[in-house]
Amino acid sequence: MLREAPIFQFNHERALLVAQTVDRVCAQTRDPLHALNDAAYWEIRRLESSRRKRDQEELAEWRGLARRLAKLSEFERRQHLRDLVTRYADDIAGNFDRRVFRASTRILPSLVTGLLSPGALPHHLRHPRELLSLDALADKVIIQGDTAGLARLAEKGTLIFVPTHSSNMDSIVFGFALERAGLPPATYGAGKNLFTNPLLSFFMHNLGAYKVDRRLRFDLYKDCLKAYSCVLLERGYHSLFFPGGTRSRSGAVEAKLKLGLAGTGVESYVRTLLAGTERRVYFVPATINYLITLEAETLIADYLSEAGKARYIIEDDESTRLGRVIAFVRKAFTMRGSVVIRFGDALDPFGNRVDAEGRSLDGRGRAIDTSSFVRDVAGEVVSNPDRDAQYTRELAQALVTAYRANTVVSSTNLVAAACFEHLRSLAPGADLFTVLRLRDQTIPRDDLARSVLAKRDALKALEARGEVVLSDQVRDTSGGDIVAQAMSAFFGFHTNPVIEAQEDGIALRDPKLLLYYQNRLIRHGLAFDPETRGRAGAAGGAT
Amino acid sequence: MKVRSVGVLGGGPWGLSLARAAARGPCETWLHSRRQQDAMVDGVRVTRSLAELARCRLLLVAVPSNLAREVARELGENLDGSHVVVHGIRGLSGPELSTISQIFREETPARRLGALGGPVQADELAEGRPSAMVVASEFGEVSAAVREALESERLQIHATRDLRGLEWASALVGCLSIGLGYAQARGDVSPGLLAALISRAVDEAASIAVAAGAEEKTFYGLGGYGDLLASMALEDRPEVLLGRELARGASLDEARAKATLRVEAIELVPRVAAFAGARGVRCDILCAIGAILDGSAAPDRVVRALFAR
Repeated sequence: MLREAPIFQFNHERALLVAQTVDRVCAQTRDPLHALNDAAYWEIRRLESSRRKRDQEELAEWRGLARRLAKLSEFERRQHLRDLVTRYADDIAGNFDRRVFRASTRILPSLVTGLLSPGALPHHLRHPRELLSLDALADKVIIQGDTAGLARLAEKGTLIFVPTHSSNMDSIVFGFALERAGLPPATYGAGKNLFTNPLLSFFMHNLGAYKVDRRLRFDLYKDCLKAYSCVLLERGYHSLFFPGGTRSRSGAVEAKLKLGLAGTGVESYVRTLLAGTERRVYFVPATINYLITLEAETLIADYLSEAGKARYIIEDDESTRLGRVIAFVRKAFTMRGSVVIRFGDALDPFGNRVDAEGRSLDGRGRAIDTSSFVRDVAGEVVSNPDRDAQYTRELAQALVTAYRANTVVSSTNLVAAACFEHLRSLAPGADLFTVLRLRDQTIPRDDLARSVLAKRDALKALEARGEVVLSDQVRDTSGGDIVAQAMSAFFGFHTNPVIEAQEDGIALRDPKLLLYYQNRLIRHGLAFDPETRGRAGAAGGAT
Repeated sequence: MKVRSVGVLGGGPWGLSLARAAARGPCETWLHSRRQQDAMVDGVRVTRSLAELARCRLLLVAVPSNLAREVARELGENLDGSHVVVHGIRGLSGPELSTISQIFREETPARRLGALGGPVQADELAEGRPSAMVVASEFGEVSAAVREALESERLQIHATRDLRGLEWASALVGCLSIGLGYAQARGDVSPGLLAALISRAVDEAASIAVAAGAEEKTFYGLGGYGDLLASMALEDRPEVLLGRELARGASLDEARAKATLRVEAIELVPRVAAFAGARGVRCDILCAIGAILDGSAAPDRVVRALFAR
């Protein structure tokens, strides 16, 4: 089944996919003058601030077009529109290399394991078959959820994986997880800036990623992206979206989602219905839970800075530095449960649960005809973007609920939450930034272990209600051992120590990183929430 | 023409009025009622079968709020995702104050849900006198379907996306109308003071509803302010009648009897006050109305509380 996934036909179909995208965008653009003017306005604005020669040439082209547009005939405007859309669609469409896929999913992890864990090499040499499998990763990258059920759903419709997003490692890690779980590979939209990252671009180029240029903010480009995604889904390409839109800066699990690409789920379903070739679409929420996050320092700094909101694209974080990536991978390969990927239950594009047969279920668990949601009051299947936008908003609510329920809590989250709580207790009522200045405070080991245990037990109660998941490494572990695990995970990875053992207890060295790791528990009410209490406590705004 | 038939569920005065208004429009109209109704009332077809009613894809539900879940559950057996369900029920259910549309979402497969509200009265709707109502739905096509089925030269229908806001506004206006009737019946409340009460009451209701996820502006529109102003002019609105009787010294049971129809706001007032209290939202007027209902404060103290700043 896996080898029959549509993505293996990608290169054969690429031209067709691009052509369909172009035809669709051109057909749905009712006013080419407005679309081109809008594109010209945004592009001129973007390019004016650049001094690069190529950008200056492009700027001159756009200015020329903007001047001529009003005088062009409708035919000429349509021609310009088609040329532009063709350029964008061709840029967006990715590539898939079967050999790279095979190498990256089978051989590379084992080689990396061997290189980074020299102690394991003799074992691999005695058991070479294991070197060609992903078994070496078994206790490092842990996969949870009903993957067998999802594999069956993949045969009944198109899967859209919608994981949480906290690192540029996510798409690679998630790709490994799909392979290990016996799920088909998925195509995905990756920020174009990642294609310039020498460490990631090789994988991005050859594993089915398509390029999303976040600098292009006008509707015509977004229409191209959505149309391309929709065409892929209609043709059965399993897809991967990060509905958070960008990596979580704070470390918290996403509570607000960007819905642009997610909306193509229901659109593609309606289009196949109208064409008489109904193809079901299933959204698969998933959480990617790291014991330590590669870019934690940059992300939390960005979150805390006023400029954070403007720095949508970060091009100089830890994922661009070879040394940091190696340190991350080395750390990941030495810790059990370094990454836990947990798949939630699948949902239809309307936010309904689906059963093992892929049927949509209503609130009472009864199977319902999925097509009925897109029939109008006369009983006809109709395209209705306004209706579909609302369905997608309701789907987003269901995804946010699923993220919360499938968050896997690790020792670093628990210990950070307990440490940050201690810091706040040292400055009662203080705003967030005052607390963040409390460096090098010490907490007695026993106090920390007790506090960690109290949080773990509160989470256990939530876990019993299906509202969170505890990692196996902390579920029945003593408070002291959980603290030791977290110390081991933090040790030697971040630029500055996060916490350090002292004679009189544990020294809290980096409050910002403690905030980052504790933020994972915000949605469960077990960690300080800077978005609410912090703001209330600080006149100047805590965030 | 998209809406071919309209089904009305509920044979009380409000349900009958909706059915009559629909029957004046272009759609075939069906009424489901447990009460004995004439077989054909003003062009309305009457049925006792929910399955038959569900042949209409636009359904208007007008049953008392305490029956909403039971009715929704039963109706849910006959619906699919293509049905458009719009209710005209004032009320919030249970301690968690679920809206009626939430109940229909839980109990039926229907997802395109809406609510009716605003100042329109059952009798003017039934008789076709000029009036105005509000339809709220997060789905534009729901509001469009209601307008297509009911709107006429004599019935203006204003649409909003704030479904939660309209449902909360309808429920809270019911509560505030009790206080309005109470103040009106007292000889020491001038028109100016009454206007101050209304303005502050709407403001307070809006703050509470915003805490529940509603949009503030909905309360300053037809579904909030407009509805409450209509209450002021209505002699026979059950909530207003109840308030007046309490101001005249009647017991709650006596006042209930005078109101003739069930006043759902009586049970709702303490639940909304508890909801507001738990979220730190001021609700002085609502608490004063609560004191009127349970007789826990002397009338003068209640009046002071109603007008306290």
